[in-house]
Amino acid sequence: MNIRVLIVDDSIFYQHRLQEVLDSDPAIEVIGIAHNGRQAIEKAQSLKPDVITMDVEMPVMDGISAVRAIMNDCPTPVLMISSSTKRGANATFEAMDAGALDFLTKDFHEIVENREQMGKEICNKVISIAKKSARKKNNYSTDSSTTTATRAVKKKLHNYDILAVGASTGGPVAVQQVLKKLPQNFPLPIIVIQHMPKTFTPMFSERLNQMCAITVKQAENGDVLFPGCAYIAPGGLQTIVKKKGQEVVLDISEGDLSLNYKPSVDVTYRSLAGAYPSKVLAVILTGMGSDGCEGARELKQGGSEVWAQDESSSVVYGMPMAVAKAGLADEIMSLDQIAATLAMGV
Amino acid sequence: MAIDLSDEIVQDFLVEAGEILELLNEQAVDLETSPDDSDLLNAVFRGFHTIKGGAGFLAMDNLVHVAHKCEDIFDLLRQGERKIDANLMDTVLNVLDVLNDMFDQIRIGEDPDAAPADLMNKLTILADKNGVIESAAPAAAGEATSEVPAQSDDITEKEFDEIVDALSGNDTSIDKPVTQIEAKEGDITEEEFESLLDDLHGSGGSPTSSDTAPVLEEKAVTKIERKEGDITEEEFDKLLDDIHGKGKHSNASVSETDKEVTAEAPAEAPKESKVKTEPVVAKEPEKAKNLVAPAKESKPKAKAPPTAESTVRVETSTLDSIMNLVGELVLIRNRMSNLEETIGDEEMTKTAASLDVITSDLQTVVLKTRMQPIKKIFGKFPRVVRDLARSLGREINLEMFGEETDLDKNLVEALADPLVHLVRNAVDHGIEMPDVRESNGKDRQGTLKLGAKQEGDHVLITISDDGAGMDPEVLRSKAVEKGMMDADAAARLDDRECFELIFSAGFSTKAEVSDVSGRGVGMDVVKTRISQLNGIVEIDSAYGEGTTLSIKLPLTLAIMPTLMVILGKQIFALPLVNVKEIMDFDACDMNVVDGQDVLVVRGRALPIFNLSNWLVANSGFDAESKSPGHVVIVNVGTQQVGLLVDHLIGQEEVVIKPLGSNLQGTKGLAGATITGDGRIALILDLPSLIGHYASRY
Repeated sequence: MNIRVLIVDDSIFYQHRLQEVLDSDPAIEVIGIAHNGRQAIEKAQSLKPDVITMDVEMPVMDGISAVRAIMNDCPTPVLMISSSTKRGANATFEAMDAGALDFLTKDFHEIVENREQMGKEICNKVISIAKKSARKKNNYSTDSSTTTATRAVKKKLHNYDILAVGASTGGPVAVQQVLKKLPQNFPLPIIVIQHMPKTFTPMFSERLNQMCAITVKQAENGDVLFPGCAYIAPGGLQTIVKKKGQEVVLDISEGDLSLNYKPSVDVTYRSLAGAYPSKVLAVILTGMGSDGCEGARELKQGGSEVWAQDESSSVVYGMPMAVAKAGLADEIMSLDQIAATLAMGV
Repeated sequence: MAIDLSDEIVQDFLVEAGEILELLNEQAVDLETSPDDSDLLNAVFRGFHTIKGGAGFLAMDNLVHVAHKCEDIFDLLRQGERKIDANLMDTVLNVLDVLNDMFDQIRIGEDPDAAPADLMNKLTILADKNGVIESAAPAAAGEATSEVPAQSDDITEKEFDEIVDALSGNDTSIDKPVTQIEAKEGDITEEEFESLLDDLHGSGGSPTSSDTAPVLEEKAVTKIERKEGDITEEEFDKLLDDIHGKGKHSNASVSETDKEVTAEAPAEAPKESKVKTEPVVAKEPEKAKNLVAPAKESKPKAKAPPTAESTVRVETSTLDSIMNLVGELVLIRNRMSNLEETIGDEEMTKTAASLDVITSDLQTVVLKTRMQPIKKIFGKFPRVVRDLARSLGREINLEMFGEETDLDKNLVEALADPLVHLVRNAVDHGIEMPDVRESNGKDRQGTLKLGAKQEGDHVLITISDDGAGMDPEVLRSKAVEKGMMDADAAARLDDRECFELIFSAGFSTKAEVSDVSGRGVGMDVVKTRISQLNGIVEIDSAYGEGTTLSIKLPLTLAIMPTLMVILGKQIFALPLVNVKEIMDFDACDMNVVDGQDVLVVRGRALPIFNLSNWLVANSGFDAESKSPGHVVIVNVGTQQVGLLVDHLIGQEEVVIKPLGSNLQGTKGLAGATITGDGRIALILDLPSLIGHYASRY
């Protein structure tokens, strides 16, 4: 059955562009268009779409309020269409907090130069979140199955030198859920690789820093890693760790331009495998594709530990699935369990 | 030609962004009166946001830059981090003008030029929450420079160029951007100029030659901002800091910037030289092609406003041909009812009646497809009035009603210029200066009312002000002074006729000619234009209380209500809009005054003409011997005139057909039509007819 999509955008120009792109995919069918947040709520209820694409800036009611209301009335997977500005980043994180599953930036030049690929990306995003039942805000089950948790706690964190987290679709919220649980005295430095455009990562870091007990900052070239501090890999670049004498410092560069993901989990994980043999606790969270799988393999070969998020708590069970299927995951846990286990391991 | 107009995406953008732009014009003016209206701020923000989005999609970078800056400014405004002031509004309105120009360029398939550098400068300052235009040296000095070639005696244009050359290491390519900027400055509006002067004086010193050096550096910076669309705000700020913040002029940074300018200029210089732009242009079509990827048939241009998704684009020429066909149908209908009267068969009567109803309905519906709300014109006026009032020192409250009144699209377009002229006139001539008003016991703020309403098959547009009104005595003496009539003739004019004088060519009562109005061309043109639309203008004024202009227009030009008359054996159609009354002709009421036949109607003498003399061969008119005919009294210009006709047929809606090439341009004829009984009737153009045959009127 086709994935039925409701487009919400106040600009007719964008309605048409989105519709063209979505209609070009045989698996997707645009079943309605709403011009503002209020209409979006009405049409979400009457049309029961599988996915909603949601603009932020709209008259009558903005996209964020609409997402909140939709999650309340008739939870539906929402793909935010955001502008790639600081303001857009902020709005996007708010919308994801409210329950939107994923976002896509209107990065015009990318669209202009690479329309076909962008179109494919939009369609893939729509398809990937369509299967997911939307959740209400923060309604992750808190039934952290104690058995797994206690078992995992035994793997004391002091066995490791660094915690690495890789995520993509659904990641912003998942990473937030994990980092929020960590106490201020968390004993390891944390490096977070979240697929995200470069205009978004600074806001993402800033936001997390305000929410979490631990310090969160966007990683900068030459940063020395401290325990209890999370370093968010900046968008558009590759972040690797390098041994510099006794110290381990971050090296951030353009990297290999042909890579699909900037930042790439694989790139960072590989460098971690080299810098901290057997001392890395690597977590693969929700996300499309299989980035992180190769990196995890190298980590495993070096004797490090790899955890993967389970299917039911993942927005998109892609990256964790790749790791799990390759037999690289030491543990497969729900997001809550991961967060709880890390917090309890202190 | 970088923009493919047949691309549906471009058309989508033009339609939507064009409407947003129109809306922005209104909203921006509204904002000045209610600066704290957060809904309005949001709406303006979204407007710029959407324009930026679409332009970005189409890689119209120059447009993106401007819209982006405005978006930033309004984001600050809506978050309360900046307050609206007159200066900001001037800049924003200026932006809208620039955007309008850009859209005009896009509509003819050109890549829009970059916005003037000084404007971008101002925007950059405004988009920074701490930036202040007045005190910000960069802006003031930058503008000062732009003015130097034109305004200052201290530096001639040549000297200026030389200095620039010296700075830029004599690279000739630098000339281009400079002249470019000057050319742009030439387009400066009066208002901008005023604010520039303000800025100049405000910044505490006029730019004398001793200021030249720092000023020129500003120029260099300004150029960079303008020529290199890619420069980021931070970079720009840093440059400014480099040059200014450190208090001395670092030569290194200046020469560096110059290098950049020279490097960029040839590639970016917009369309000045075809050869130079070619590399840039060559890329554009490729981009455009990429855009068309899901290739669709190019759709016709559409003017129809995008509403819900239930709309379909139709080419206006298709609407025109539908209208034509309906016109033909109306003619057949007329013919049918005529036949039905003569044959009188019951079945036939029924059929004819249904045809009649359906045709009327069809006509209404088709007319509706061509209708546009008069808001399309009215929407401009808040801005026009605001700008004028500001430049003329008036305080004016504009009230508009009936904006939703629909008019034929062609009429809406044709009416725009005359209306703007009338409104400008009302502001300039009508409403007094605030002090004068106060001393006359009026509100300081004048009121200008602009209204439209539908009255039957006509639309009535009124423009009324509560200003000084017109003094008939002044008008009379003016008319005499201008040699338009002698003192006696002037004295005989009643007040209304005096007012009508302002529609005569070369009649201006304003002592000095202002930029706005008073050149004496205009009102007569307005009148002519409106008569061409089969409309009439009336004027009423009360001295000291105000003036009201009323324009009466048919709903459409395609179908015209007429009065059919017979002269000799021929049928003629008189446009009903001109017809005032019809009466039986009684030779006893006829007199001859000054060699002119006149008819006394209710104690008033009207010139009377026998149409047959002009239009029917061998009519051999002889009022006495003729069987009693009818007099049709018509309004022509400021005059009422009686026309003698042989027989009246009645009122009929006709479809105007152009005359064949042999008759094209014949004075007094508007066109032809086919009557109900299948004959051909000529449609008279009364103003031109009377102007031609009775030249004294």
